Amino acid sequence: MLNCIPLEQSKLLHIAENWFHEQNWKPFPFQKQTWNAFLEGKHGLLNAPTGSGKTYALWFPIVLNYINTNPDYKIKHKKGLKAIWITPLRALSQEIKQSAERITQDLGTQMTVGIRTGDTSTKERAKQRANMPDLLITTPESLQLLLSSKGYDKTFKHCSAIVVDEWHELLGTKRGVQMELGLSRLKTICSTLRIWGISATIGNLEQAREVLLGPTGSALKNSILIKAKLNKKITVKSIIPKQMETFPWRGHLGLHLLEDVIPIINKSKTTLLFTNTRSQCEIWFQKILEKHPEYAGEIAMHHGSINKETRLWVEQAIRNESLKAVVCTSSLDLGVDFAPVETVVQIGGPKGVARFLQRAGRSGHRPGKESVIYFLPTHAMELIEASAMQKAVLNSAVEDRIPYLNSYDVLIQYLTTLAVSDGFIPEEIYPEIKQTFCYQALSQEQWQWLLNFLVMGSQSLKTYDEYKKVEIEDDGRFKVNNRAIAMRHRFQIGTIVGDANLTVRYQKGGYIGTIEESFISKLVPGDVFTFAGRNLEFIRIKGMSAQVRNSSKRTNKVPSWMGGRLSFSAKMSELLRQELYTAELEPKAQSIEIASLAPMFKKQREESIVPQPNQFLIETFKSDDGYHHIFYPFEGRAIHEGMSSLLAYRISLLTPITCSLAFNDYGFELLSDKEIDIQEVLDNNLFTPEYMLSDLQKSLNSNEMARRKFRDIAVISGMVFTGYPEKGVKMKHLQSSSQLLFDVFKDFEDDNLLFQQAFTETYEHQLEEGRLRMALERIAKQKVVWKKCQNHTPFSFPIITDRLREKLSNEKLADRIKRMTKILTR
Amino acid sequence: MTHTATFNNQEFVLHPLGGMFWVEKSLLLISDVHLGKVNHFRKFGAAVPRQAIHKNFLLLDQIVADFSPFQICFLGDLFHSSLNKEWELFENWVAKTPAEIILVSGNHDIISPILFEKLNIEIYLEWILDDFLLTHHPEERDGLFNFCGHIHPAVKLKGFGRQNLRLSCFFKTKNQLILPAFGEFTGTYTLKPTKKDEVYAIVEDQVVKV
Repeated sequence: MLNCIPLEQSKLLHIAENWFHEQNWKPFPFQKQTWNAFLEGKHGLLNAPTGSGKTYALWFPIVLNYINTNPDYKIKHKKGLKAIWITPLRALSQEIKQSAERITQDLGTQMTVGIRTGDTSTKERAKQRANMPDLLITTPESLQLLLSSKGYDKTFKHCSAIVVDEWHELLGTKRGVQMELGLSRLKTICSTLRIWGISATIGNLEQAREVLLGPTGSALKNSILIKAKLNKKITVKSIIPKQMETFPWRGHLGLHLLEDVIPIINKSKTTLLFTNTRSQCEIWFQKILEKHPEYAGEIAMHHGSINKETRLWVEQAIRNESLKAVVCTSSLDLGVDFAPVETVVQIGGPKGVARFLQRAGRSGHRPGKESVIYFLPTHAMELIEASAMQKAVLNSAVEDRIPYLNSYDVLIQYLTTLAVSDGFIPEEIYPEIKQTFCYQALSQEQWQWLLNFLVMGSQSLKTYDEYKKVEIEDDGRFKVNNRAIAMRHRFQIGTIVGDANLTVRYQKGGYIGTIEESFISKLVPGDVFTFAGRNLEFIRIKGMSAQVRNSSKRTNKVPSWMGGRLSFSAKMSELLRQELYTAELEPKAQSIEIASLAPMFKKQREESIVPQPNQFLIETFKSDDGYHHIFYPFEGRAIHEGMSSLLAYRISLLTPITCSLAFNDYGFELLSDKEIDIQEVLDNNLFTPEYMLSDLQKSLNSNEMARRKFRDIAVISGMVFTGYPEKGVKMKHLQSSSQLLFDVFKDFEDDNLLFQQAFTETYEHQLEEGRLRMALERIAKQKVVWKKCQNHTPFSFPIITDRLREKLSNEKLADRIKRMTKILTR
Repeated sequence: MTHTATFNNQEFVLHPLGGMFWVEKSLLLISDVHLGKVNHFRKFGAAVPRQAIHKNFLLLDQIVADFSPFQICFLGDLFHSSLNKEWELFENWVAKTPAEIILVSGNHDIISPILFEKLNIEIYLEWILDDFLLTHHPEERDGLFNFCGHIHPAVKLKGFGRQNLRLSCFFKTKNQLILPAFGEFTGTYTLKPTKKDEVYAIVEDQVVKV
């Protein structure tokens, strides 16, 4: 269309403004700013919350750009992919599609909009392969899958824009790294690509832009950060139990406050009740119906393991206001605009300011409306959290999302992906990868190591081997020629969060949802459990699915999903400490939450203290379980995990000892069958930040943690095959456990980059080495208060009852066994 | 450190590597070695370090040296899958090992018996020796004491201070002893003993009766 004169930018914008006018809307300044920047050819990051009209901020310029290059767009349709919209949750894709279609249709273009996710049927996918929609909505995984199909460069060639929605959710995860790699390729193969991200508010927005666009390339220079700056009023109200004395210290479900929620539900059109885990979600749903059968048909449940149809139905029902309340998990955190939601209830601590704000923002979803969020504590200590959260909302103190560096596993997966499609020439790909944030420091040696790993499975050049994955062709192209390997690899791409999941089905085949294998393996046929709001009797495992039938029996078995355990962010734990310190103030100077906790503080002071800023509290006591030693840094679960491991290791240098570790967001416990001499711990200055990293590395626990990290790494890098969906059993001979692999690497190849990555990730992402050091430095300045108690205290009870424990030992195993044999589990 | 036990008036030495020596017969019993597993994985594109292959043979050498048996009987799952390069290493190992070798075949043993015959290895589905029944899968038969493998047994121990451990073990019920998996790179299955059962756990380099 060389003879067409492009419309001027102002004319283009006029089209958009007209459209807004027709809807009786007025574009926000940030929307206009985004349109302008996009049309000027800029890349960028848009900081805007959910429900602010961010989809229109970017769909519009994409369509306008098409109009601009194809002035006779109304009669002639130029086929081919023009823009990609990436969403981290496939549940959001429908909504995004609708808003895109509204624009394309209202403006009279003939553009098509399509969705391609794990839920897309094979038929639909085949159709897309032959004829791509103009605008494609997809997930990071599905984008990778597109890169694994032959001739992908032709598909993407004329793509002019890629928008990564909810970028803050991807940043700081390996899916984010996957995205960085995908972008690095697209930058080369698309001639006129604009890259845009959309992110909610996080602490490190500037860095988020750098990761998205690459720290060194030209994209970052030619980019803009646009902030929506919508002042939204958020009000937090705590539900304070009437009887504080009988308050369970660690109920962790909050059901005793169920009746207090009912008036809240009745008062508003639609209420969302956010729980932290899927099991909690299941239980709350059950209990509300049990106590208030009148809600039948008016309340629903929504979490990630429920099948798609039900989830979509629930989402639709929220939109057309046919539901009073929905009990949900983070599955409803993102995206989807639910205008009818008036009230949000958060059950249990949300553990992070950003998450809390996001959830609060789900209510009063129209610009200008106030957001109300109720906080329902599941144990007394969480009221402190509630109080801290209100301060955080006031100061909008939001966390950083820390991006990954040098994730070799994701790179191996990506390179295999390229080898599966058209193959790759290392010299072409290396510079692209070096431009990403994640691999900016990747050295030539490491690169060579990775290539060797792909082709030979290790470093040595012996010919005696049958290892087969990627082969080098005569022209130097790295390629996968074996179809079975290619197919297995494609299946593996989606499993970046690799949990062994089983599908739950009726015998006749009706699909109910997915469940973690660890839960199913504990059931015997005939057991009844609650799932997706029904009582189901477990019949048998067949293939990769668990067969069930409906049951009328009552049960208290609810599946748990491991993902549920979250840790406090640094910001949050600091606010929490400050709140706790107000316990000593006059009631008038306290928040309602802290004041209401007076009975608990009183009980705590009977045997111990409520620590002040200059104090570090240690409590010890003996029970039937053993000797309890509890420490209270108030730094959040992740830090406590590292600190407990570090301390246990240092104690073990003084005397051989075996202890199990438990931790929550407030403190940690070392439980041992022998008493630890706390005075000796203090005299030897065992909390020193000196030699922290080397001690941490030596502590046995870091090995255990790395072992767990390695599980994902092994799956992502393709060393462990998780099986075809539905066909699990047949491939079983290849499902080696990552545990065994980890041991083999430890014994035979400990310089393996993937093995080492497990440790790096443990120190940097799980134990948050930097934060741990700061915490130790803070403790070094505090005065230690050691209380020998007769019993557990309100502070210690939630910790000591935690059953999920780590263990650490440097005693000779045989010595331990001799003591343990007496209590062999029979 | 080994552990000596008596079953049906015969003496057996349980070795911490997972094998068991029948003193009266000078017969070494080994179960579930799963040779070839490493290469099997590599062939399918899973990069298990190749050095792990040799580990199994080193362990076999070690246990054979400790007992110098007349006969070695593998209780099934000697090879993990179809023929691969580890077979050559096995041939070498057979050639240099001065003992008669018998295989009681298991569910993973799908390599042609002819190849085993070439190495003078006899293959049985089961082997009755005096009043002992040697099989791969656990079996119960009147009047016979059963030695078997297949399960890869382990046991969970608990201690004061909520401690627990999982250990690979020899698992004895009234008329049966299940051997642990000998091979490196094999998993385990946790069994729950009843009061009557005896468990010989492998604790690093010792066998401890618990």
